Amino acid sequence: MSRAEAAEKAKKVRFVILDIHGVLTDNTLFYTQNGVKSEGFSLHDRLGIKALTESGIGVSFLTSKISRADEQMAKIYGVPPERLWGQGAKMAKVDEFERETGLKDEDLCYVGDEMIDLAVMKRVGFSAAPSDGSIEARGAADYVTSAGGGRGVVRELAQFILDAQGKWDPFMARFK
Amino acid sequence: MAFEKDVKAAQERAKKIKLFGHDIHGVLTSNTLMCDIEGNRQYGFWHMDGFADLSLTANGIGVAYLDTTSIDGEGLFRAKELKLDKFYYSVTDKAAKVEELKKEMNIGDDEVACLGCELSDIPLMKKVGLAIATADAKDEVKAVAHYITAASGGRGAMRECCEFILRAMGKWDGWVEKVTSMGYK
Repeated sequence: MSRAEAAEKAKKVRFVILDIHGVLTDNTLFYTQNGVKSEGFSLHDRLGIKALTESGIGVSFLTSKISRADEQMAKIYGVPPERLWGQGAKMAKVDEFERETGLKDEDLCYVGDEMIDLAVMKRVGFSAAPSDGSIEARGAADYVTSAGGGRGVVRELAQFILDAQGKWDPFMARFK
Repeated sequence: MAFEKDVKAAQERAKKIKLFGHDIHGVLTSNTLMCDIEGNRQYGFWHMDGFADLSLTANGIGVAYLDTTSIDGEGLFRAKELKLDKFYYSVTDKAAKVEELKKEMNIGDDEVACLGCELSDIPLMKKVGLAIATADAKDEVKAVAHYITAASGGRGAMRECCEFILRAMGKWDGWVEKVTSMGYK
């Protein structure tokens, strides 16, 4: 899909759903000597998420299980606890969210990096994948970021969506 | 050194696989040990390699963690979290463990595959039907391999092996379909 076509789809986005592993992280899981897990997140994405939410586009995390690391990072990113969705059945969660909010598939953006994300990627109005996502995820995505997972995917995507909606310059204006 | 491998021949070998064995460091990790100044240690695994192990077992291929390199039991921490069926774990001699599993599963050498990176992997790689080396494996290891992944250890090498084997078996598209329709639990 061309950038122009992707931008057309991005115009309609009112809510962004983010997979965590491989999107907000670079796919590496660290285990300490005691078996405690840790993961690397990108602070670049902090500005991306801020730009989206302050421009009226909601953001949520959707993964099979929310860890304490995810909760901690959500605080840093400014994503409220009710937007941390830990559910293996991703489709059912999206159904529920649409029922509650009245938003439709075409209002949603989903970012995923693996074939487990394909079902949701295919139903939403605008889908994206990181440059190092699997072939399946990149193939299904309307937009592939130049950033790899954990290297500023959301920062890049936020700029693309807000640019398409004419909201990027107003957001940027405060930094000038 | 560049190594030319016959991909078609490797695909033929992949069709027969019923057991996949791999070690931990250099294969599932990049061989990096993160150690803080108080001596606390961390080991990095590639998230989607876990999904690869799960995909193999879900398609009837046993997975053996032939763990001779873990320092704090990190290989087992990882494996336990994945909750794999058809999963085997050992810390003994790799080739000996594979012999034992072959008897238990009633399969031959040609039905075993392994992923290796270091000299210690060579004895097993020389025996099995499909030997795969990581992109950053030692030259001696690449020399005995039937196939070399584009990804390095700890950067998705196992995910690539899984796709290579399931594709060769003609099971990949069906598996993608299944995962897409059922979601990942």
